[in-house]
Amino acid sequence: MIVFDAVRFSYNSREILKDISFSVGAGERIAFLGGSGEGKTTILKLIMGLIRPDSGRILIDGEDITCKTEAQLRDTRMKFSIVFQEGALFDSLNVKENVAFCLREYTKMPEEQIEEKVKELLRTVDVERAIDLMPEELSGGMHRRVAIARSLAATDPKMFLYDEPTSGLDPVNADNICKLILDLSRNGKGFIIVTHKVFDAVKVADRFMFLYDGRVRLDGNREDLLHATIPEIQIFLSELRYTQEEKNV
Amino acid sequence: MNAKALISDLQDYYLLSIQGILGALQRPFYGKDVIEQMDYAGAGSFFIIVLVSLFVGMALSLQLAAELSVLGLKMYTGKVVGISIIREIGPVAAALVFTGRVGSGMASELGSMVLGHQVDTLRVFGVDPVKKLVTPRMLSAFLMLPALTLIGDAASLLGGYYIAVFVSHQSGYVYWSSVREVLIFENVFSGSVKPFIFGFLISSISCYMGLSTKGGAIGLRSSTTRAVVASIIMIIVADFLLTRILLYVLGFSV
Ligand SMILES: Nc1ncnc2c1ncn2[C@@H]1O[C@H](COP(=O)(O)OP(=O)(O)OP(=O)(O)O)[C@@H](O)[C@H]1O
Ligand SMILES: [Mg+2]
Repeated sequence: MIVFDAVRFSYNSREILKDISFSVGAGERIAFLGGSGEGKTTILKLIMGLIRPDSGRILIDGEDITCKTEAQLRDTRMKFSIVFQEGALFDSLNVKENVAFCLREYTKMPEEQIEEKVKELLRTVDVERAIDLMPEELSGGMHRRVAIARSLAATDPKMFLYDEPTSGLDPVNADNICKLILDLSRNGKGFIIVTHKVFDAVKVADRFMFLYDGRVRLDGNREDLLHATIPEIQIFLSELRYTQEEKNV
Repeated sequence: MNAKALISDLQDYYLLSIQGILGALQRPFYGKDVIEQMDYAGAGSFFIIVLVSLFVGMALSLQLAAELSVLGLKMYTGKVVGISIIREIGPVAAALVFTGRVGSGMASELGSMVLGHQVDTLRVFGVDPVKKLVTPRMLSAFLMLPALTLIGDAASLLGGYYIAVFVSHQSGYVYWSSVREVLIFENVFSGSVKPFIFGFLISSISCYMGLSTKGGAIGLRSSTTRAVVASIIMIIVADFLLTRILLYVLGFSV
């Protein structure tokens, strides 16, 4: 479904992605791992066509999106649902209006039906009681979940993209988000989760890519990740070992 | 800043203004956002414009009355105050206040929306950020600044009246009748063309600076500052050019 072919990208002549090639099928559950500032968010933005690569091709369902106009990109974007790192709720609107945003934009639903739908979506992510709050009144975890609910209202996506959905959350909340992610992908919908928490990645994904120095250094299943010998990955994995040792004690 | 970056900035600004204007002509329309912006920009600036204009009118009247009474021409106070307020000071003062209050607000709001990925979210949802964010702001400034200028002019003339009658002991009747004398088409026309142009400049510059924000809180600071500074400079320069053009068009000789 997504193919990156020798993609390079730089911000202000500083090269962030040096040579990224991979391909992702529909329904795959993928985790992108990598340190801070390695360009994980950048890859998600490239997939959504929010930024354009310096060179290389990005194919979504066989169509090259690198030379599409903003209007043509609309259909491509509809195939995905993205939740940004910060949640990116519109802070001038309350939770209800945030979730209802796309319903109001694209459908002519009567008010009661919108209200019903919003409540239903908020129930899915378990933040129904926050319906009348403003975004700045939400905790980090609630913020993230409302953002997920809002992206669910937008379209019926084929694939979910999550940018660090669990960072900055306590283990219980992080675990809830992981469960939610798995729940949403039940009927064969794939996702890409970007994170630097190996622990959460291992819980949800089947395929792992490790990004380092602008390249994909590892691309494989759980076994490949756990037995990787690359030193940078070893450091990441130490978090996992530590957690497991704790469990064994 | 090098020349190449400056030219590409100007080009982007130019494109954004065009798209902002076109957004008002094509579907979808965001009427609710326009109303909300008009409320914020217009109704919200009402008191500060009245206050500033009142004091500008009083200061001007005081200064002129003092100067003119030395020459024994006190009865011209209303005329000179009227002309300067209606043609020059009224529109410029209102525009400067509007920049400080509304332009800076636009730049910082849009800037923080960019940094918080809210603008990207709009694009993801298939909503054109220019139509949704820029057009309503440009429309509201374009419509509200002239209205505010009118109100400000009235407040200034009232302030001038107060000084002329109660401080400089002139006849109120003479003041108003000489003000009415200057309310001819040429003066009113020049005074009311300007705020439309200023409103367009302030909103387009502020939106452009806001949307081109990058680099966190520091970036937000500099884009807000740049929005205000660029708007002020453009207001003053445009005011001069407009005065020149209008005098020429309306057939005044200098
Ligand atoms: N708007 C921008 N302008 C300039 N440089 C940027 C911009 N956005 C990101 N960068 C740079 O690009 C690099 C990659 O950024 P990106 O946001 O993709 O990192 P990331 O892997 O998502 O990191 P994190 O885990 O901290 O979210 C960073 O080094 C950052 O400095
Ligand atoms: Mg990131």
